[in-house]
Amino acid sequence: MATTVAEHTTAVTTPARGRSRVPLPAKLRRGGWYRAALFDVLGLGFAVGITALLRFVNHQHPVIDGHAITTVALFSVPVFFLLGLGAFDYWLYWASGRPTRPETHEDHGAHSWRDYFRVNPDHKVIGIQYTVTSFFFLFVGGMLAMLIRAQLAKPGMNFLTPEEFNGVFSVHASLLIFVFVIPVFAGLANFVLPLMIGAPDMAFPRLNALSYWLLPIGGLMMLASFLAPGGSFATGWTAYAPLSTDMPIGQLFFSIGVQFAGFSSIFTALNFLVTIITMRAPGMSFFRLPLLVWANFATSLLVVIATPFIASSQFFILLDSALHFNFFNAFVGPHTNGNVLMYQHIFWFYSHPAVYIMMLPGFGIISEVIAVNARKPIFGYRMMAFSLIAIVVLGFTVWAHHMFVSGMQPWIRIPMMVTTAIISVPTGIKIFSWLATLWRGVLHMSTQMLFALGFITMFTLGGISGVMLAMVPFDIHVSQTYFIVAHIHYVLFGGSLFTIFAGVYHWFPKMTGRMLDERLGRLHFWSTFIFFNLTFGPMHYIGLLGMPRRVYSYSAQFAGWNLFISICSFFLGLTFLIFLWNIVASWRHGPRAAGNPWRALSLEWQVSSPPPIFNFETIPTVVGGPYEYGVPGAVHGVFKPPAEARRPSAVAVARE
Amino acid sequence: MESASVTHAEHHGPPPAHRSSRVEPPVLGMVLFIISEIMIFGAFFTAYFFIRVVTHDPWPAPGTKIPEAATGINTAILLVSSLTIHWALVSIKRGNRFGLKAGMVLTFLLGLTFLFLQVNEYVHLGWAPRDSAQATIFYSLTGLHGAHVFVGLCALLMVTIRSFRGHYSPEHHQGMEVPGIYWHFVDGMWIVVYTALYVL
Repeated sequence: MATTVAEHTTAVTTPARGRSRVPLPAKLRRGGWYRAALFDVLGLGFAVGITALLRFVNHQHPVIDGHAITTVALFSVPVFFLLGLGAFDYWLYWASGRPTRPETHEDHGAHSWRDYFRVNPDHKVIGIQYTVTSFFFLFVGGMLAMLIRAQLAKPGMNFLTPEEFNGVFSVHASLLIFVFVIPVFAGLANFVLPLMIGAPDMAFPRLNALSYWLLPIGGLMMLASFLAPGGSFATGWTAYAPLSTDMPIGQLFFSIGVQFAGFSSIFTALNFLVTIITMRAPGMSFFRLPLLVWANFATSLLVVIATPFIASSQFFILLDSALHFNFFNAFVGPHTNGNVLMYQHIFWFYSHPAVYIMMLPGFGIISEVIAVNARKPIFGYRMMAFSLIAIVVLGFTVWAHHMFVSGMQPWIRIPMMVTTAIISVPTGIKIFSWLATLWRGVLHMSTQMLFALGFITMFTLGGISGVMLAMVPFDIHVSQTYFIVAHIHYVLFGGSLFTIFAGVYHWFPKMTGRMLDERLGRLHFWSTFIFFNLTFGPMHYIGLLGMPRRVYSYSAQFAGWNLFISICSFFLGLTFLIFLWNIVASWRHGPRAAGNPWRALSLEWQVSSPPPIFNFETIPTVVGGPYEYGVPGAVHGVFKPPAEARRPSAVAVARE
Repeated sequence: MESASVTHAEHHGPPPAHRSSRVEPPVLGMVLFIISEIMIFGAFFTAYFFIRVVTHDPWPAPGTKIPEAATGINTAILLVSSLTIHWALVSIKRGNRFGLKAGMVLTFLLGLTFLFLQVNEYVHLGWAPRDSAQATIFYSLTGLHGAHVFVGLCALLMVTIRSFRGHYSPEHHQGMEVPGIYWHFVDGMWIVVYTALYVL
């Protein structure tokens, strides 16, 4: 096997492109940052012009209205920016019927850091763009969490004003959900998924580039809401109507930012689905797919089906607050026959599947990490795949368990309680499969394995409190308390974020060609694990005692625990710096990574680190399952055409 | 192996991907996108359901009228445009370039007529979305559909231009087939919207 790998991993050399000296007018004509800046101005001009025109036609005065201009500009400036950057160039050229340019592939891959700042169709570049961008937003979101805990350190603190506090925790949640957890999984999968299935790239590379560039727009828009008059959106990430329809203009930064993040994830999901269905290597049947691919297949189905619901719900908010529509106008004034509960139904019909969008790719990462580091085949591979599909189906039947105290028809609670309890079954299947995979394995306690084991314990705790919350009486008791905050952080921090760390430690050598520092990695894991539990564990307890969530201050009886939680949370924040240091130092000076440092079987490890510019010189043939660790002579894929790649010869290659 | 690397050096591009499905990627991508679009309409229909069924408001709002008959004619116009784009597709499959061009021009004009008549209806309805929840959902659903007609028309315009520039052949006509799928979706969705808002 080793010789075969070496033959096929020589990177294709392309002529290096120096920094060419181009005069400014030419730069403004060519796609890039100069043209993007110019088009931003045009986008703003468009917003001013169109609102002035419409207000003039409708006899509204004054014709120039800041509120209207901002609303339109939040759409037009990003779209013009993308036009200027060149995200649509190829399509416009093609669609206008001009003769297509020859495909030179010269825009493929990254040769300097500048190539990460342009529209790049290479899935490996996009994967790194996605991952780095979303970790930036993790850093910002974590800083906001520090502000929240500083305010809550003592009862009656005045570190933030109440309005600022509401804004800070709303932006914290929105950033971490929409521009960290969801896209970082898309980023990791973007890098490894095409490699794993033996594809040279994604099915629609240019759409992939567009999906990436929509992401920072959404995130920066949410962050920019702090600059809006009246402060940032302060309704929580749920933006319940009619609270959100009466908010200052900062609310629109959320409503519109979500549209961009949502389009980004829909396009990526669509791309993943088409790639997985149409571009698998010969021999890669669905039941030979690595579970990460299965997990992203399931997640992408959820994204394609569910995400339009949050886009619509935020559109309703936008129409209600900007154009005075009556979706949710149900209480004050004439014509008040809107329906408020409708918002929550539509919102949670997305946002409950969204918690699986934030978890299923992590399940995939954990399956990879555990199989490789326990040197054993995944226990119950098919059940792992089927349970993912079961979660996708059941995920659409449980949304109203978020609404037990909303005042909806009481009878809906019962079926929702039952389905919510049932959905823990496929999740339980996965937990037990991982445990059975670990059973009598040869455990390699690498950093990613530590994070995987940490994930299993923390996610099980979060899952158990989830089943508790499914029970209507218990949920009514704790729904407005810190118990919910503890639950959500056990599944999203102890769950999703641990899987993300596991994934980054696992694939960092593949993505950058450098090894991470194991000692710093272990320090990072143990400090994170300890301070995570010290921060969020006590929240269960004070929640049960009745400390309300979303509050700016609280009763003196919770003072001791809150001070403890705040101090631990600052240490938890500091642990991130270990990770950051490890990443930056290793990326620059870390030891070179071999093609397959973890002795893994799946295809992405059979090429060099980082992979060659077009992934493979010839498409490999898959001859066995992805997890046959410990099986003598087991091979997953070989770099031969299907006719030559029968199993006996593959074994012979492996023994070489 | 030797020959493979030689051809690779000449090609300077990725190896052609193995095709693991008979479905064309652009067609599959369009179908998935349409599933997403259906869910957007689904969310708007959920709002409609809550306003009309759960809240049990009278439909249409008291003192307003919805012009079923005039829009019925408009519906027929849109449905005919589905037939003409199908004619264009069948024509190019048989190598009939005139049929392709005529079909595309007809489809585009029919779609434009539909959009124009809808805007005309808005102007003459005499009530605004802010008047009631029923008016809100009426304008939102027809407006959402109108936006899709607009996007579809942009795609059709591009296909029309390309067909006049000599693009597409009996073997390669995916560039018009895929926007065509979208156009059929827009037409089919109109039947649902029309039934829910005008007929029922």
